[in-house]
Amino acid sequence: MASKRSRSKPKTKSMTSAPARVQRLAFFGPPPLLEGEDAALYDDLVGRMCAAVKPVDIIDELYVAGVVSLEWEIMRWRRLKFSVLQASVHDALEGFLNKRLDYQAYAEDFAEALAEILVEILQESPQKDLAEEAKELAHQYARSQPDAVKRVRLRLRAAGLDADQILDRVKAQRAEGLVQEYARREPEAIRLVDELLASSGRTIHDLVLEALPRDLDEIERIDRLISIAETRRNISLREIDRRRTVLGEALRRNLQEVEEGEFEVIEPTPAEGQNPVQARRELRTGRSERTEIRGRRSSH
Amino acid sequence: MASTRKIKANRANARASTGPKTAQGRARTARNALRHGLSVSVSSDPVFSEEVDALAREIAGPDAKAEVLELARRVAEAEIDLRRVRYARHQLLNSALSDPYYESEARVREKDALVYRCMRVDGPFTPMPYHVVEFLDSKPEGPVKLAMILSDKARQLLAMDRYERRALSRRKFSIRAYDLSCKELNDLSKVD
Repeated sequence: MASKRSRSKPKTKSMTSAPARVQRLAFFGPPPLLEGEDAALYDDLVGRMCAAVKPVDIIDELYVAGVVSLEWEIMRWRRLKFSVLQASVHDALEGFLNKRLDYQAYAEDFAEALAEILVEILQESPQKDLAEEAKELAHQYARSQPDAVKRVRLRLRAAGLDADQILDRVKAQRAEGLVQEYARREPEAIRLVDELLASSGRTIHDLVLEALPRDLDEIERIDRLISIAETRRNISLREIDRRRTVLGEALRRNLQEVEEGEFEVIEPTPAEGQNPVQARRELRTGRSERTEIRGRRSSH
Repeated sequence: MASTRKIKANRANARASTGPKTAQGRARTARNALRHGLSVSVSSDPVFSEEVDALAREIAGPDAKAEVLELARRVAEAEIDLRRVRYARHQLLNSALSDPYYESEARVREKDALVYRCMRVDGPFTPMPYHVVEFLDSKPEGPVKLAMILSDKARQLLAMDRYERRALSRRKFSIRAYDLSCKELNDLSKVD
């Protein structure tokens, strides 16, 4: 009787380790990941949720799987809302820069783009040192030297191109680049954008306000998704709580069995010269002081 | 009390409102229930039925009484139904997201209008401005694409959300019934 080998009892589900639970939750279907989402992060969330809720049976696990999926959705929609707002502010800033950007801010880029185009055009004529000549011509054009302007316009027209279109393209590219630098918080870009905003008597918040009405529908739609997922997640958590109240007694009994199952009573080693039968008798009557009980409480 | 004349008029109008009359209209409405198949019960599908049975056995345990197994089956049905709805919604979003040529109808209309305006203002042979060409060539990507898909598929997502809400509600109440039954059995076994 002393050898209470309760370890041989089948363990209840509450004793499964976190990775085992993650695997078990996979039973409830594949993770609801969209393209580009990280499966490892999802598994991590499952692990953390299991550790926090400690599901005791399959229905609890069913709820936990749902809660994890909803929590994932909430995070996804929140990220999306932030990105939509950010993209809309960037669009507004790009539009503003396209109107306000000073020629000096992209004159160098324009000269380089023009030089590239001129090299292509001049390749058709049998002249040497094309790159140098094109570069020189482009820089002169960028500085509005009349002779260079005349020559470049002639060559561009012959090739079916328009200098103003090239200028527009370079300006748009510079504005786009500047917005990206501004988003990366590069000091030079921040200084330039702030200066342009100040010179027009506006702030970045004005641009946000201008951009917001355009994306309000999208933001509202995402907000609704967040709200639905939050409500459903909270209902699931409440249901887990309710089950624990209703089934509290049964669950407590289960947990008690589990805890008992985790204890192992080890038979005393008979002292030298002592009869093992005598030792067992002492253990049964509780008189033995050498009885060693090793217990290990569950980590859950 | 409506007058006889009014009753007659109502009946005549009702006879006229009998749905689509053309063959195409009738064919289209005949496929209404088959759009996503979510209104079909899981028990009428053999694959889902097997899943329901497996899950019910898992919930109730190996030596469950018939009534407990029946309640577990209801839980399993609701759960599989919920899983089916979520999978359909997930597929709807994922297939649109993974389509590299995805373009929303609103943007296509916007692009058409822009091309038409450019041609009307500058003539058909003048190159379009850079920002117009850039917009025409652009494809939605990343979060913007997802937001666009949510906007385009709003109606379908709303319909799926209704199915999900019903499945969730059925699951909640079937779990409550199952828990109650388990508790009663537990109490009985204690008395014995």
